[in-house]
Amino acid sequence: MPIVVRIDVELARRKMSVGEFSERVGLTPANVAVLKNGRAKAVRFSTLEAMCRVLDCQPGDLLEWVEETS
Amino acid sequence: MVGERRAVGALRLFLVLLFAILVVFQTLSLPGKFAYMAKESPDLADLRWPATAVTVFWVLCVQVVIVCTWRLLTLVRRDRIFTPAALTWVDGIVWAIAAAWATLLAVFLYVGFTADDPGAPMLLLLLLTGITVLGLLMVVMRALLRQATTLRADMEAVI
Repeated sequence: MPIVVRIDVELARRKMSVGEFSERVGLTPANVAVLKNGRAKAVRFSTLEAMCRVLDCQPGDLLEWVEETS
Repeated sequence: MVGERRAVGALRLFLVLLFAILVVFQTLSLPGKFAYMAKESPDLADLRWPATAVTVFWVLCVQVVIVCTWRLLTLVRRDRIFTPAALTWVDGIVWAIAAAWATLLAVFLYVGFTADDPGAPMLLLLLLTGITVLGLLMVVMRALLRQATTLRADMEAVI
């Protein structure tokens, strides 16, 4: 997918573990993994909101468009 | 949903009952009836076995629909009705109705050309039209199930 979810960058900046992140956002670790490795097809606004709240950032910090490589 | 569970339970009960009644028809009532009719009117005696075969086949078609419905209800209970697995059983229902329709059409044409009063052909025409409506309704429902399956798959991909 040409839209990349940059969770790992924001997690590293806040030194938050994936486990803590998934628990505070209310996602399963499996779904966090799907977001991280770019296999997600769609994200609810409520999920995006929770991620922004937990990471104290804007949606633009999490979502990035890149040119499709394939 | 509680209402849905109760309805599924009741439906299953009556499907078993219907199946049992159909087995009685298939093995005792229909062969017996045509044997009796052949004895009463010997000029129609050569129709005994074709008539028995065709009516038993129709009952078989209804039984296939019952079994497929039962499987679909199992999927409903497991919340797996909106998966490709459901389409297999819906196809079974559609094909059973199609087979019954085709044989009914053949019987209608045969009776229509040989009957000397319009009673039987009219009754068969009513049945044929009814089964056509039922079959086409199933085709529409199948398409709707397909759409719902796609929607469910899309929704499940949303995180």
